[in-house]
Amino acid sequence: MHFAPLPYLDPGSGSFLIQLLIATALGLAIALRASWGKIKTMFGAKPKPDADEDDEDTAE
Amino acid sequence: MKTLQNSGQLSASFRDPSGFLFKRDNVLYRQVNRKYEQEYVRLMESGLYEKLVKAKLLIPHVEANNIEAESGECFKIIQPERVPFISYPYEWSFGQLKDAALATLSIHKRALKLGMSLKDASAYNIQFVRGKPTLIDTLSFELYKEGQPWVAYRQFCQHFLAPLALMALKDVRLNQLLRVYIDGVPLDLASELLPWKTHLNFGLMTHIHLHAGAQKKYAGEEVKSRGGSMSKQAMTGLIESLESTVKKLDWKPGGTEWGNYYDITNYSDAAFEHKKQLVAEWTDRIHPAIVWDLGANNGVFSRVAADAQAGPAVISWDIDPAAVEQNYRQVKTEKNERVLPLLLDLTNPSPAIGWANRERDSFGGRGPADLTLALAVIHHLAISNNVPLLYVADFFAGTGKWLVIEFVPKSDSQVRKLLASREDIFPTYTREGFEAAFSQRFMVHEAVPVRESERVLYLMEAI
Repeated sequence: MHFAPLPYLDPGSGSFLIQLLIATALGLAIALRASWGKIKTMFGAKPKPDADEDDEDTAE
Repeated sequence: MKTLQNSGQLSASFRDPSGFLFKRDNVLYRQVNRKYEQEYVRLMESGLYEKLVKAKLLIPHVEANNIEAESGECFKIIQPERVPFISYPYEWSFGQLKDAALATLSIHKRALKLGMSLKDASAYNIQFVRGKPTLIDTLSFELYKEGQPWVAYRQFCQHFLAPLALMALKDVRLNQLLRVYIDGVPLDLASELLPWKTHLNFGLMTHIHLHAGAQKKYAGEEVKSRGGSMSKQAMTGLIESLESTVKKLDWKPGGTEWGNYYDITNYSDAAFEHKKQLVAEWTDRIHPAIVWDLGANNGVFSRVAADAQAGPAVISWDIDPAAVEQNYRQVKTEKNERVLPLLLDLTNPSPAIGWANRERDSFGGRGPADLTLALAVIHHLAISNNVPLLYVADFFAGTGKWLVIEFVPKSDSQVRKLLASREDIFPTYTREGFEAAFSQRFMVHEAVPVRESERVLYLMEAI
């Protein structure tokens, strides 16, 4: 196995790029979920109530 | 000239340009630098501070207007509520680290709603206050601009997600990696250690394995798009994904050394009750503010001490991750605000770590307590670990002024078990030998034989 000299390697760049990639995909999933919800509502399903964490007094 | 070492500045916060902690007349303050004015004002005026404090997620503070600034860049001095005991992630059980992780994400989510973002996801910024994981660094927030990624993403994965996954899916003892890696478990290491099946878990596949791969691939490369944009929806997706990945990780105590210790002990109910009664009586007599219960198992006697009139904070230390986990779960169920269960190997206690060995304090450096409880622990130190009794006495003289210690003689069946597998090279391990060693460091106030047992309980005061 080859190890590059440690002090010069910054894992920050990879973390940054992968975050953008994962988050974009997950954001898209949320958008799809929301539109799917809207379509279902159009066909008569009841919309799900949004759980708002700020209304809770204490965190779990 | 004042150097950092001899001023009141504390070394746990030296990296932060937003401000720092300092002690004056034994009171802890935090200086907020001018550089952080805008963020501090937003935290206080947006309602975020109030919401987080109400939810017990952030340490409350008062503004100390009459305190002179520690240095020139001062905007404000605040006095945070004092945390009774500072503990570190390598001393937490699985459940404690998990709750600290979820608290961190919850704080970030609440901040986003009010136009701020949590810029640090360090496990060291979380402390257990009255039983709950609480953010103690008031200066951890920045203004959120839509499009900006989460700067603390990598830190969250290293400090929380990686150790939790390793503990749940590989071995619970791997939290000890945090003692070596002060900035969290390196993701390439976590990725290598985790079982292959974690590649099939979406959260772990992305946030650990792919993340580690990307770090390796782009290490040393300048990323032109560092200014790249991430929508608020994408941010929400990321946080929800981290949250659900953490929530799905679980570890149950059981099958380890002490998990059900009190069911397999050799003493009768009467002996047990007598011990409880003596501990309660003596704790009331001493009136301690802080008690260390060393070798606490699942915290039965910690609770007895915590119920004393003085209402002490009791740190309930044990070597067994299952016992500490059980203890913590019980603390949560009974909403116990006084008992803090922590993991500790008494024969190799937490060292001082970090820059110049000054960032995180050692076990001893966070003492002394007012009262140490050492119940049914002496035979493990003197026989299993072969420490001479005078060394044990020395150690306990350093952990607290008062000591309640139980002597367990060789004739006791638990000690016989220990001796069954080793040669008896402990001729001085007798009640007389014990008293001779301990009276060199302590004044013995009480020595009471425990009913229906061969054990003796002592109340001693360090000299």
